Amino acid sequence: MQSLLWKIGGEAGFGIMTTGLDFAKIATRQGYQIAGYMEYPSLIRGGHNTYEIHISVDKLHSSKYHIDVLVCLNKETFDLYKKRLSPDSIVFYDKEMFEITDQNITALHLPLKETLKNENAPVFMMNTITIGASMAVFNWPLEVHHAMIEKTFGKKGEEVVSINKKMSQIGYDYVKQHYPDKSFPAFQARKTDDTNLVMTGNDAFSLGALIGDCRLYSAYPMTPTSTVLTRMAEYAEKVGIVVRHAEDEISVINTALGSAFAGVRSSVGTSGGGFALMTESLSFAGVAEIPVVIFLGQRPGPATGMPTWTEQGDLLFAVHAGHGEFPKIVLAPGNLEEMYSLTAEAFNLADRYQTPVIVISDKHVNESIWSTSKIALKLFSKSYEVDRGKIASEFSNLQSQISNYKRYQFASDGISPMLIPGLQGHFYQANSYEHIEDGHTTELSKSRVQQVNKRNKKEITYLKNHFKGPEIIGDINTSDVVFVSWGSNKGSILDAMQLLKEVGKTTSLIHFTHLFPLDEKAIQKVFKLKKRYILIENNSHGQFGRLLRQQTGIDIEEKLLKYDGRQIFREEIIDYLKIEM
Amino acid sequence: MSTIEEFSGYSPTWCPGCGDWGIGAALKKALVDLNYSPSNVLVVFGIGCSGNMNDFLNAYAIHSLHGRALPNAIGMKIAQHDKPVIAIVGDGDCYGEGGNHFMHACRGNHDITVIVHDNSVYGLTTGQVAPTAQKGFKSKSTPGGIIELPLNPLTLAVSQGATFISQGFAGRVPDLIELIKKAIQHRGFSLVNILQPCVTFNKVNTYEYYREKAYDLPQDWNTGNFEEAMKKCAEPTSIEKFPLGVIYQVEKPTFTDELPQLKEKTLFQRDRFTDLDSLLGEFE
Repeated sequence: MQSLLWKIGGEAGFGIMTTGLDFAKIATRQGYQIAGYMEYPSLIRGGHNTYEIHISVDKLHSSKYHIDVLVCLNKETFDLYKKRLSPDSIVFYDKEMFEITDQNITALHLPLKETLKNENAPVFMMNTITIGASMAVFNWPLEVHHAMIEKTFGKKGEEVVSINKKMSQIGYDYVKQHYPDKSFPAFQARKTDDTNLVMTGNDAFSLGALIGDCRLYSAYPMTPTSTVLTRMAEYAEKVGIVVRHAEDEISVINTALGSAFAGVRSSVGTSGGGFALMTESLSFAGVAEIPVVIFLGQRPGPATGMPTWTEQGDLLFAVHAGHGEFPKIVLAPGNLEEMYSLTAEAFNLADRYQTPVIVISDKHVNESIWSTSKIALKLFSKSYEVDRGKIASEFSNLQSQISNYKRYQFASDGISPMLIPGLQGHFYQANSYEHIEDGHTTELSKSRVQQVNKRNKKEITYLKNHFKGPEIIGDINTSDVVFVSWGSNKGSILDAMQLLKEVGKTTSLIHFTHLFPLDEKAIQKVFKLKKRYILIENNSHGQFGRLLRQQTGIDIEEKLLKYDGRQIFREEIIDYLKIEM
Repeated sequence: MSTIEEFSGYSPTWCPGCGDWGIGAALKKALVDLNYSPSNVLVVFGIGCSGNMNDFLNAYAIHSLHGRALPNAIGMKIAQHDKPVIAIVGDGDCYGEGGNHFMHACRGNHDITVIVHDNSVYGLTTGQVAPTAQKGFKSKSTPGGIIELPLNPLTLAVSQGATFISQGFAGRVPDLIELIKKAIQHRGFSLVNILQPCVTFNKVNTYEYYREKAYDLPQDWNTGNFEEAMKKCAEPTSIEKFPLGVIYQVEKPTFTDELPQLKEKTLFQRDRFTDLDSLLGEFE
C-alpha cells in the first residue's frame, strides 16, 4: 500500500487545525484518499497541537506509525515524534527556533521567522510557508494550494489571499532552490468523476441527521460532540431546523422529548458525563414511548477523564442506561459512511419502535477526518426514505379506529399507533407513570404486566425486522486470525489486514454496528467455526466482549485492549501478532 | 364552544380542601373562556400533587418527570408554536428539582404558561419541606426547622427576564380564572405562582394565613415598570406580604419569534429539507 504521512505540530492557538484540514483537502482535490486525525489538549492556548494526514491512492482507513514529512513549528513537535522518523523522513524546522543535530535525520531548515519578519506577516502564516514547502517535496502543483487559499481566506479579502499565496510561494521556492533532490517519488492519483469530500465523523452525523429529517437538535457543548452543535447551529436557519443550546443535558433531552411528542424528529448529542445526566429521561422516553436519537461520543472517563482523547469505555453504560426495563437500540458507526447511514437509519428506528436509539461513537470517529465519496453520499441521501412507522398526524395513516384511539393500545408487535398532537376531537397523554392503554396512570398488576409485555415485544420485533448482524470482512473460513470489533477500530483493523495480506497472512474481521440488542441465534452462526478470534477494543474491560457473552453466550478469550486515550494503530495490531513486516 | 366537561377527566384525588381543587377548576374555566378545546392545547404536568392533574384534565399532554416539565414545554412550543403550551407544576418540582430550567426558561422568553402550585411542602411524599418554605418551617425532613431562606420565585423570574409575572391564591377561584387567562394570552414566558394551602402537611401557610397576608394589587398598578415590579415581588421576603394579580408584564419577542425559519410554518408543518448538495461545497 503506497502512502505518505504528513504531520504538523505546534503550539495550540496558532492555526494547526485549519492548516491540517486544508492540507487534507489539497490532497483530496488532486484525487487522493486521506485519513487524518488531530491531537490537542483540553486548553485553548499554550498546549501542543498536532494534525496528521495519511495520503494514498486507494481508500485509507487509518493513520500509520512512520512519518514521512514532519513539520515542526516548535521544538516539542520534534522531540515528541522523532521516534516515528526514519532516515527517509523529511523534517521541516527553523534553526532560529531550535537545532537538530542528529545526523540520521533529514532535517530541512526553512527560514520561517526570518520570512515573517521580512514580510511583516503574522505568526500563523508560518503554517502557510510550510504547506508551500510540503507541496514542493510532494511534487504537487502549487496552484492547488493557491486555490485552497482562495477558498479559505476569500472572505477575508484580496490582501489576505495574496499574502498567503506569497508565503506559500516562498516556502515552495525555498525547497526547490535549496533542496532540489529532496522529494518523494510521485504516485499518481486515480482519475475519477467522483469528488472526495473531507469531513469529520461529527460532520457525517450532522448530514446523516438532516438526511433523516431531524428537525430539532438540542445539546450542551461537550467534547467530542460539540462540533455537531456548532455545525447544526450553522445550518439551522438555512435548512429550517431548530437548534437549542440548553442550560444542561437534562434540559437538552427533555426539550427533544417535548418536540418529539409534538411530532418532529428530534436528536441530542453529548459525551459520557452529559449522557449520565440524561439517563433518567432516557427511561422516561422508554415508558412514555417517545422516539429520540441520542448521539453519544465517547471520551476517556471516569468523570472528566481525558476530555480531548479517545476511548470506548461507555458501551455497557449506554446499553444499560436508564432505570427500569424498557426497549432501547444501540448502533455504533465505525467510519464516515456508517456514520451518516446509521444516523439516518436511527431516526427511522426511533420512530418505528417509538423508543430511544443511541448512536454511540468515540472521539476518534467524531473528530478525525477521512475522505469519502460525494457520489455515494448523494446516492444514499436520494435513496433514503423517511419511515415513521405507526406515527401519524391523521387517522388515515394510522392502523387504528378513529372512534376509540388509545395511545398505548395493545399490539402484537408491541408498537401502538402514535397520534401527533393536533387532530381535532382527540387528546391523550404520554405518561411517565405506568399507564393503561389510553394513557391514564395505573397501579393495577394486570395493566402493569400488559404494558411491560407490550414494550418488551418491541425488542422481539426489532430483532426480527431490523436487527443487522455483523459485517464480515474477508473470509473467515480461510483466515488464520479472525478479529472481532466495533466502532472506530474498524479502520486500523482493515489497514492492518491489508498489510498482513501483503505478507501472505490471511485474516478477517467481524465488525458489529448493531450492538444492542443482539440476536443470539444469528450471531452464534457467525462464530460457528473454531478459529483464533481476537477481540479488539479501545477500553480496559473488553466491554463488547462482555456484552457478547451476556447476550449470546459467546466468550472471546483473546483480547487486544488499549486504553491510553489513543486509538489503536494498525502497527499495534501487527506487533501484537508478532509478525515481521 | 368547548365545555368544562370536555376538559374534565377522572375525578380528582386531591385531599378535601386542598388548594389544587380551585386551581384545577380555574384552569378548565379559563380554557373554556378562551375557547380552546382539549385538542388544541398542549399541557405538561410535573410530578407531585399538582402533576396528578394529568388524569383530571383532558388535553394533548405529557406527564413528565419530576422537575422536567419546563424543557418538555419548550420543546413542544418549538415544534408547534401555533398552540398554547401550559406547564402544571409544583414549587418543589419547578423551583427545586427543576430550578435551573426555570431560570433559563425565563431568560429565553419561551412562550409557555407556567402554573405553579406553591404550597411550601412536598405533599405527595408526605410533607417534607419545599424551597419556598419560610425559614424555621418544621417538617419531616427539617424537624429542627429549615435552615435555608425561602426561594422567591417572583424576584427570580423578574431578574431572569420573564415577561409576565403574576401571583394568585387558590382560595380565590374567580380571580384565578382571569389571571390564568391573561397568562395564556400573554406572548412570552408567563408565570402564575399560586399560593396553595396544603391542608394536610402545612399548618403554617393556611387559607387563614393567606387571607391575612395576601392582598390585591391596586387597579391602576403599572405592570410595565421593572424596578417597581422588583420591589413588589420582593414583598414576600421583605415584609411577608403577598401581592395578588399581574405584577409585571412587558411585550418582547418570544424564543420562536426570534427564529426566522419558523416565520411561515411551524417546525412540524415545514417541508423536509432535501437540498443536501448545497451543504457539500465546504467539504471539498
